[in-house]
Amino acid sequence: MKIIEIANFTSLNRAPLVIEGYLFEGSDPYAPSVAIVGAMEGKNILPLYSASKLVDFLKNKIHDKDKIRGNILVIPSINSYALNINERFWPLDKTNINTMFPGYELGETTQRIAKKVFDAIRGYTYGIILESREDLSNCIPYVKLFKSGFEDIEGAKTFGFRVVNHRELTPVDTVTLQYNWQLWETKAYSIVCPNKNQIDIDNSNEIFEGIIQFLSKNKLIDYRVLNGFESVIAAQEDIEIAKAPKSGIFITMKKEGTYISKGDVIGQIVHSLNGEIVHTFISTCNGMIVCCYKNGLILEGALAFRIIKSD
Amino acid sequence: MQVKEIFSSQLPVGETLSIKRSRFEPLQKSDNLKRISIVSGTHGDELEGQYAIYLLTSWLNENQDAISGIIDIYPAVNPLGIDTITRGFPLYEVDLNRVFPGGEDGFLPGQLVHALVQDIKGSDIAIDIHSSNIFLREIPQIRINKEFSNFTLPLAKELNCDFIWIHDAVTVLEATFSHTMNSLGTKTLVVEMGVGMRLTKEYGEQLLCGMLNLMKKEGIITTENSFEAREPFLSEIGEVFYLNSPSSGLFVPALDHCAIIKKNEKIGTIVEPLTGATLDTLYAPNSGILFTLREFPVVYEGSLLARIFGERDK
Repeated sequence: MKIIEIANFTSLNRAPLVIEGYLFEGSDPYAPSVAIVGAMEGKNILPLYSASKLVDFLKNKIHDKDKIRGNILVIPSINSYALNINERFWPLDKTNINTMFPGYELGETTQRIAKKVFDAIRGYTYGIILESREDLSNCIPYVKLFKSGFEDIEGAKTFGFRVVNHRELTPVDTVTLQYNWQLWETKAYSIVCPNKNQIDIDNSNEIFEGIIQFLSKNKLIDYRVLNGFESVIAAQEDIEIAKAPKSGIFITMKKEGTYISKGDVIGQIVHSLNGEIVHTFISTCNGMIVCCYKNGLILEGALAFRIIKSD
Repeated sequence: MQVKEIFSSQLPVGETLSIKRSRFEPLQKSDNLKRISIVSGTHGDELEGQYAIYLLTSWLNENQDAISGIIDIYPAVNPLGIDTITRGFPLYEVDLNRVFPGGEDGFLPGQLVHALVQDIKGSDIAIDIHSSNIFLREIPQIRINKEFSNFTLPLAKELNCDFIWIHDAVTVLEATFSHTMNSLGTKTLVVEMGVGMRLTKEYGEQLLCGMLNLMKKEGIITTENSFEAREPFLSEIGEVFYLNSPSSGLFVPALDHCAIIKKNEKIGTIVEPLTGATLDTLYAPNSGILFTLREFPVVYEGSLLARIFGERDK
């Protein structure tokens, strides 16, 4: 294993921002290769943990290094400046590194960071981006693929997650890492992790096992794994949305990952001052809750639940 | 003048988020009146539009007889952001000017911008007033997407701004207010001026004159008053030169904003207070007008320090 320096940016008063990659060189020159990108945002705790756990696995748990067949590059953290102070984006100008790709070496700071990262990860057969949900919700871990014309749905299924969300490409998506990586002929997938500040062991195990399964099924490592789920490909029309008709204190009765039936009570909103129940969420379909609003206080109109319909 | 709420969302504890529009129209209503919509406060840290809009509504109140079209004013698209010095939509941390056109079933910021678009749709003209962010000071300028410049450039020239910057179409900018409205047939101009979190009184007055001039030319106001629009620089007759910081440190400018400068003139230095070292000295890459200058002194490698507009030096 080699540690490679991908970028090094100085600061007026902070220690330099150093972006490092852990490169595991494969034993088979004909095997495919993969690069895995961890935390690009400062609140990407599970992405950071999942990537660092993978480094530990490859370094310390696979004793016969010949079993690592293809080159594997893991970059656990891109944005340690934000991680260290619990900021979400680049701390100075609040720009999102994951909207700066493919980057520009003469541009603004985050464009330069994106360029250096992109230069390091271009040319890999596969690319895995560990992200968190962008809105105020928690979710089961799933694969997100844009309908870009370059996406690899069959590859996305090999993670063995329950859901592959195959969604429309929006203008902002054209400056993300996933889209640009695909444009440069890497089969890129985003694993969307729950947006939690603490490590949820069940979630992190699921994400880790998904990555190992992907590496194994795509012949990057020789490692026996048990099969995961047969992934459901879910587009927008497969997802039922429940919005909050009132504001107040939000109580989730069913967590993400729970199967529900039409008519089940899945949540409530309580008036924040007089304590009365002002709304009860009742499922309008059979299916699985895949995302739940994550805060205890909810705004009127906020998306409270996303349910993948089973019929 | 009528005030209408175009979007609302109850907040969790005894408060309502409300997006408001004020409408000025002639006392004698008639069909087929031209409509202009003026929008600001999409970014909560940009306040120059607040003052320019105040000047306009104040003028309209004093000159109600001059109103011959419909003037819709949306001063605060992101009211929670404005009142909390937050650029994006608070809680969601999202830039509202990257989620257009939004949708009824999208996340809350998307619902908000969708309501705005639905209300403005059908206007003949829209003006979206931005300040620069907190980092840069800008002269009053209009930003125009080349895709729509055939019909927006003539209007831009009436707005009494100093510079019109016509830029290439960029896919990511399709998620902006201006692209959405232009695509829906409303001729939309984006104004950038001043600096974030501050008011520049003379810029507000300059833009007021431009808005009144444009409205008079378009028959939206009818008045004996005359409003002069200055001749703007057009980006097509020169080039924009960027100066990004080569190092991290404290930027100390050597020139004033708006200065006319010569190639190789000193623009500023990057210094390090701890050691007293001068890390870099920056020189103008080309002659021209210094139309953008760094206001916030802390810089990283890559931070934009200045932009100069001029013809390329021989």
